[in-house]
Amino acid sequence: MKSPVPDTRNSLILRLPDKHDVEAWDQFVSIYEPLVYRLARSKGLQDADAREVVQEVLVSVSRAIEQWEFDPERGRFRDWLFRIARNLMIKFMTRRKHRPIGTGDSGIAQMLEQHADPVSEEESERFDLEYRREVFRWAAEQVQEQVKERTWQAFWLSSIEGHQTEDVALKLEMSVGAIHIARSRIRSRLREAIKTLEQDNTENISSHNAR
Amino acid sequence: MTSHLKHTNDTELQILLCGDEDSDEYRRTAAHVETCEACQKRLDTVAGPTQLDAETRELLSDYPWEALSNSRTGFQGTDGLPDQAESLTFLNPPSHPEMLGRLGRYEIERMIGSGGMGLVLKAFDTELNRPVAIKVLAQHLAHSGAARQRFARESRAVAAVVHEHVVAIHNVEADDQNPFLVMQYVAGESLQARVDREGPLDAKEVMRIGIQAASGLAAAHEQGVIHRDVKPANILLEQGVERILLTDFGLARTVDDASLTHTGIIAGTPHYMSPEQANGDTIDQRTDLFSLGSVLYFMATGRPPFRAERAMGVLNRVCHDTHRPVWQVNSDIPDDLSDIIDRLLEKKASRRFASAVEVRESLVRLLARTQQHGTRHRNRVKSFVRQRPFLSSGAIVCLASVIVAGFMFIPSSVERTRFRSIQPTEPVAPDNNISLAQQDQAIAAESAVYSATAQEISARLQQLEATSNAAQFAQPASDGFWQDSASFKVRLDQLERDTFRDSSISSTKEER
Ligand SMILES: Nc1ncnc2c1ncn2[C@@H]1O[C@H](COP(=O)(O)OP(=O)(O)OP(=O)(O)O)[C@@H](O)[C@H]1O
Ligand SMILES: [Mg+2]
Ligand SMILES: [Zn+2]
Repeated sequence: MKSPVPDTRNSLILRLPDKHDVEAWDQFVSIYEPLVYRLARSKGLQDADAREVVQEVLVSVSRAIEQWEFDPERGRFRDWLFRIARNLMIKFMTRRKHRPIGTGDSGIAQMLEQHADPVSEEESERFDLEYRREVFRWAAEQVQEQVKERTWQAFWLSSIEGHQTEDVALKLEMSVGAIHIARSRIRSRLREAIKTLEQDNTENISSHNAR
Repeated sequence: MTSHLKHTNDTELQILLCGDEDSDEYRRTAAHVETCEACQKRLDTVAGPTQLDAETRELLSDYPWEALSNSRTGFQGTDGLPDQAESLTFLNPPSHPEMLGRLGRYEIERMIGSGGMGLVLKAFDTELNRPVAIKVLAQHLAHSGAARQRFARESRAVAAVVHEHVVAIHNVEADDQNPFLVMQYVAGESLQARVDREGPLDAKEVMRIGIQAASGLAAAHEQGVIHRDVKPANILLEQGVERILLTDFGLARTVDDASLTHTGIIAGTPHYMSPEQANGDTIDQRTDLFSLGSVLYFMATGRPPFRAERAMGVLNRVCHDTHRPVWQVNSDIPDDLSDIIDRLLEKKASRRFASAVEVRESLVRLLARTQQHGTRHRNRVKSFVRQRPFLSSGAIVCLASVIVAGFMFIPSSVERTRFRSIQPTEPVAPDNNISLAQQDQAIAAESAVYSATAQEISARLQQLEATSNAAQFAQPASDGFWQDSASFKVRLDQLERDTFRDSSISSTKEER
């Protein structure tokens, strides 16, 4: 006999009638998919198992959304979503084996068993660092879509890869001044993009800034 | 140094940062700033602190971009199905001109149809010389690693179910990347097509088809396979023979996996889903019995029991409304059949038949009785009783679940408060800093209270374990709501009222 499985197909559409909440979910998924995947891989899981973990985390969170309805006083959906996901994930990373998280999946149970140490500051710090990395990655993807390819290249080659402005200018056939404009333009937009998440989810960002 | 005389003002700087790169004002301003270091400096300042660049570099310079595409288990931004021309591009050129193409050893004759999961093709197996139907996973699902794996895994499980009323799976194959399913070809039409064409079926036909469907389900359930998507489109009527075959066992999960990451948009019809499916709860074989009830309802009346304009409306009604009994919609349907359907459509799985075998037996007995003695039909007095919404089991179940849900919160909140107040010296930590040990204590305290309450509550709780664990840590420490247990009572009362109001409104609507 197969064990009963949660059916997630429709819970979300029932739980998220608000368009903004659906957007928040989308944003959440695009940050958490790679986040959970990378954390799982760094714990030594294989590709397929890491994907399963991603699914399980998303399923757990989407099931938690059932409780969202009961208490609108909790604040905005987006805040709540990122908060429970963070807590759930840190628990996934540190939970002891005799108390499984409830999805009963072997991949997760395995991961939890292999890392049975009590919760460490390290885990939550590492989570926050990797979370922030995904926020920046997400923001970068948003911004890249909003600007011309050449503008993005100018920023990436000079600000991220650290090439000399003159070399980049030569390579992209732009003036040095245009590279400066591009870098300012991208920085300002990155900041805006990151802020949309920051406002809603202050603790994750600010706790890390205090580092 | 400057090519234009005037320096830029703040508005113009904003255009450089946020404006459209193709606009005239952008170009004009850029032309000046490109050559004016003073304006570049100002632009740089307005754009925000340069530490952001350093942090971006630190975080992204060695970002593992390959891992990113691997991690994306869902499909990205695909809406609707591709058209036929595009969707058949995976086929190899045909070896006969009258064929559409080739897929492995199968010559594709034509496209039979398409659904939420992909295409169904009629093909010819050149090795075994027989017609087959091939189901190909839609492109957008084939991109999802999880969906692909699930498709293959579930298909193999279904292949183990061999039964005269279950479409036989011949093979699960993969062409490069895309898995496809080779199955028995059924010449005929689907139950959906039949009812669309001819309208409601007569009572004996409903029973006959119901018996066959129930025995197909029973065979699958015995193997531990849940169908999850019993609906008229997945019931095929064989031409010329009085035989039906169930298709698409277990495949609904393939779609779940992919759409989960895409905001849960429903592929296909939600009309036959069970309340537990619609709620995202744990399901078992009895979900299929609810769906079978909806299919019987559809055959008997020509329409599914719950309808609404939007998918979400349908699902809400599936969960919360009481259907109008079949005998009221179609007076030709005998009471006993109407009652069997009612029992299949119970919101709570435990109130339905216990198994597909039981359903089959009830229908067989009823068909035999009908053939010998004719049918019984209700009189008007009963009809009056039947129409009272407050007597409907659905409303009571709904209310019960609201109360159960309410209970679930009370002990947890009380415990939380106590837990906090006995440790006043602890620094007030933001919720996300609560240590695991604290979390575990809180969980332990909660479960102690839970175990004291009624069995039903704990059963429900088990189901929601992941949910409550996750949600428990989500409340901000300063949340006054949780300190005030009186507000639970108020809230519960409100929920109770809402439930009754909703169900009475909707059942009045249904009478029209
Ligand atoms: N084995 C088969 N033999 C003949 N026709 C089939 C077979 N399987 C499916 N079909 C037909 O192919 C068509 C498409 O089926 P498909 O399962 O893709 O869509 P659906 O059942 O409407 O939706 P879903 O994808 O949700 O199951 C239907 O009209 C169905 O009757
Ligand atoms: Mg189908
Ligand atoms: Zn200037």
